[in-house]
Amino acid sequence: MSAVDFMGVSPLLLLVGAGLALMLVDAFSAERSELALVTAASLFAGAALAGSMLVSGELPAAPELVTRYLAADRLGLLFDVVICVGGGLSALLAGGYLREHGLERGEFYVLLIFTAFGAMVLARAVDLLSIFLGLETMSLGAYALVAYRRTSARAVEGAVKYFLLGSFAAAILLFGSALLYGATGHTDLAGIREVVAAGDADPILAVLALVMLLVGLAFKVGAVPFHMWVPDSYEGAVTPVTTFMSVAVKAAAVAVLIRVLVGAFGDEASMSLYTGWTPVIFLLSIATMVYGNLAALAQSSVKRMLAYSSVAHAGYILVGIAAAHEVGAFAVSAVLFYVAAYTVSNVLAFGSLILMGSKGKEAVSYDDLAGAGRRHPMAAFPFVIGVLSLLGMPPTAGFFGKYYVFSAAVQAGGPMVWLAVLGVLASGVGAYYYLKVIVYLYMREPEEGQAIAVPMQSIYVVAALVLSAYYVVKMGIMPGRYLDWAVSAASSFMS
Amino acid sequence: MTSHSLSWLLAVPAISALVVLLLPRSWEGSIRRFSIGAMLVELLLSLRLVFADYSEAGYLFVEQMSWVESFGISYKVGVDGLSLWLVILTTLLSPIALYASWGSITTRIKEYAFSFLLLELGMLGAFVALDLFLFYVFWELMLVPMYLIIGVWGGKDRVYAAVKFFIYTMVGSLLMLVAILYVVTSYKELAGHYSFDLQELSTLVLPAMPQYLLFSAFALAFAIKVPMFPFHTWLPDAHVQAPTGGSVILAAVLLKLGIYGFIRFAMPLFPVASQVIGPVLAGLGVFGIIYGAYAAWVQRDLKKLVAYSSVSHMGFILLGLFAMNRTGISGAMLQMINHGISTGALFLLVGAIYDRRHSRLLDDFGGLAKVMPWYALFFVIITMSSIGLPGTNGFVGEFMILAGAFISRSSIGFGSAWFVMTLLAATGVIFAAVYMLHAVLRIFWGKVVHSENESLTDLNRREVLSLLPLLAMVFWIGLYPKFFLDKMNPAVDSFVSDFTVRYYEGRRTSEPHLIDIDELKLKLEAARGLAMAQPMDEEGAR
Repeated sequence: MSAVDFMGVSPLLLLVGAGLALMLVDAFSAERSELALVTAASLFAGAALAGSMLVSGELPAAPELVTRYLAADRLGLLFDVVICVGGGLSALLAGGYLREHGLERGEFYVLLIFTAFGAMVLARAVDLLSIFLGLETMSLGAYALVAYRRTSARAVEGAVKYFLLGSFAAAILLFGSALLYGATGHTDLAGIREVVAAGDADPILAVLALVMLLVGLAFKVGAVPFHMWVPDSYEGAVTPVTTFMSVAVKAAAVAVLIRVLVGAFGDEASMSLYTGWTPVIFLLSIATMVYGNLAALAQSSVKRMLAYSSVAHAGYILVGIAAAHEVGAFAVSAVLFYVAAYTVSNVLAFGSLILMGSKGKEAVSYDDLAGAGRRHPMAAFPFVIGVLSLLGMPPTAGFFGKYYVFSAAVQAGGPMVWLAVLGVLASGVGAYYYLKVIVYLYMREPEEGQAIAVPMQSIYVVAALVLSAYYVVKMGIMPGRYLDWAVSAASSFMS
Repeated sequence: MTSHSLSWLLAVPAISALVVLLLPRSWEGSIRRFSIGAMLVELLLSLRLVFADYSEAGYLFVEQMSWVESFGISYKVGVDGLSLWLVILTTLLSPIALYASWGSITTRIKEYAFSFLLLELGMLGAFVALDLFLFYVFWELMLVPMYLIIGVWGGKDRVYAAVKFFIYTMVGSLLMLVAILYVVTSYKELAGHYSFDLQELSTLVLPAMPQYLLFSAFALAFAIKVPMFPFHTWLPDAHVQAPTGGSVILAAVLLKLGIYGFIRFAMPLFPVASQVIGPVLAGLGVFGIIYGAYAAWVQRDLKKLVAYSSVSHMGFILLGLFAMNRTGISGAMLQMINHGISTGALFLLVGAIYDRRHSRLLDDFGGLAKVMPWYALFFVIITMSSIGLPGTNGFVGEFMILAGAFISRSSIGFGSAWFVMTLLAATGVIFAAVYMLHAVLRIFWGKVVHSENESLTDLNRREVLSLLPLLAMVFWIGLYPKFFLDKMNPAVDSFVSDFTVRYYEGRRTSEPHLIDIDELKLKLEAARGLAMAQPMDEEGAR
């Protein structure tokens, strides 16, 4: 067995190696100034590795023993790219943010890499066991990352909430897995699919199992009504961690949602519009879009607003998944594109928020942004692109993503068209709170005596912003290549 | 022949906007000159379009390039008689509005120039796009710069007005996006491939029920933009708060995009629905005429008065459009240009007096004809154009619209309703004279009652320069409309006859299907033994 045989999982191996190496470097070097760069570089290398395999014609090889648990398919590679890019950009943001606020410690980056690794495992998992393993690897790292600023009561509160609810959700998911095994006699998703499609699964057990799996995964995605942890832990965590959670952790959860719902339960009866899981996702997406957008309206903290907006975006993603019952591959590719577009847009928005503050005064609320567009035009500009993309204004990645998802819903026809109508109306609500950022940046001045946040000077943050802004615009104007990736990943997954 | 004329037309503002973005903030003088220069180049480029041959219906200067191949989205642009004059209006009014702005805008010059160039790009793009996706992109692209122009450089309540403007427009257009997707999906199911190309989608005929819903979604987006009563409430806010340049562009060009959207997209794609819902919209338009006129009459703020007069004038245009005959539609198309010119000029004049006096209240003026004779002259001429005095452009447009609506009483349903609507709209012309002359009276006639007004200076060179081209247009269109009408009439004729064919086909069908419009036209002509174009309104056009 040569090294080439492991090409299929090489991005995972690369990250494990990088994580271990980082631990050693952190232990033995007093000067740990450039850990952020090393972390980002390893994650980007992972993305490049996965990306190069994605664009090359044939799939890379991997031993059967591995692929039984961790798929080495295009879907997995695509999520590798998304998670690594999201993680790498978050590492760059952390490099600027942690140093500026005097929080930099080596373990942060080690945790970040291993959490990203866990997310990638989860995104590739094709067995109930590996799903749980990936979920826990990712979640443990994420709990620790949220609690990273241990002196802050908010961070601890957020982490405890996340941990308690997360463990609960994981337990439910595990219970669901056990029931599913009982119902089908399989732990691998392919085997489960066969049994379910043949109608040999115990119907009551299978439905119960599916419901439990859905609860666990909806929690990780942050869908209403399982979103309770999102605002607190997003707000309590240091902003680079919030960024990472909202992009990489969410992406992995979406991946496993696709694998379980469209994969294992992808037969016609299970996906049926009236009797399968589709109506459940349908209702979840309505609740998530409506609640996420309305709750975001009421926030006075930009960070919390972005937390609720990430809930709302989970709703749009669910619209795409719900459309899979009718237009399978198209809907899945729409979801994939949406996740990628959302990743770069969200990094841009959170990164801009990070950039607006510096030591002593972090920019958190709308008031902190007042007048910044006049005082620091260069620093404010990326924020505008970021929120416009999240809002879905052309020509940005966010617009094309929304267009794609809603187009899947319209193609699915029937009640899905009305879901699309509701979705666009809900996203219209988003105009108010996203524009509020621009209002404060350009049309307000800080009040007398208010402490003014000064943008930080960090080449790392600037690099992350330039990269993400580039992709936000590029995916909006020239989406062709990324569409092809999404389509090929989705269609190879569906066949 | 691909001359890339239209691509250049889009490229110039786009590139200029980027150049402005890169210029140092402190070079204010250069930024002002450069942005005006770029818009003048744009104006010259656009004049080329006028000299093409529009005697045959169809698109000219067409360019097509695949953009997102897997979705059938393409960069397809072209002009015809319907969009030609709107493009020219845009390229003419943009430099005027910007030039006038440079008199009063003193902060953040760079951002202002950038927004204006981006706005021009969005407007032109929306007028020349022949691909629904491309149209939507440009349609949304206009929103952000206008939002910034109102919100950053506007008056006291600018943030409220800007957000209201943005949200109204965006919510309307989001539903249109879903409707576009529905049309494209239906087309794909029949043709086997995706396409957003308007000409390809025009071969699709949908049954009545989906047409109603889809037309409503489109109509909401466009009616908000027009703005049609009862969706007009954003307009007075936006106008009053916007800086002069923003108001000029908003009134002169942005509102026209609503009407243009109807005639280019909503009506051809959903003829059955527009035939049924159209009279309702025309009725709301008539209501808007009366309501806008009355609201204008009671305003004490001159700018608000002009804003409500826009609601009234746009009502006329809706009436002419949904009269669905050559005279009415030509009149509506011409009146769009007229309204752009006269209301644009009125906002310039309001801005001029506001810069001097920092007030727009009618009560603060009186007797200005003595102090500012040239200003008074310009104002009165533009007022005459706005109320449609014979010899000015407004007369031609309003007359054609009323004639068209009157003809409609016999050609489409609701006969007596059209009669009443025409009658009411005609009284709107009188109301217009009442509120505008009332304003003129209060401002210019009588004695100078306020001592602050005694020392006001007359129009300066900048203001005269920006008004003169508009004044010339007022008389050109007023005295020789043939030049303008001749270029749009073939397009209007073919619009009407295509519409009729697609209307009958849509009425007949219960299943979506694709048609060959030329073949159907021949069949229908043979069946009826006469030409499709309604012969009775040949006379009314003159």
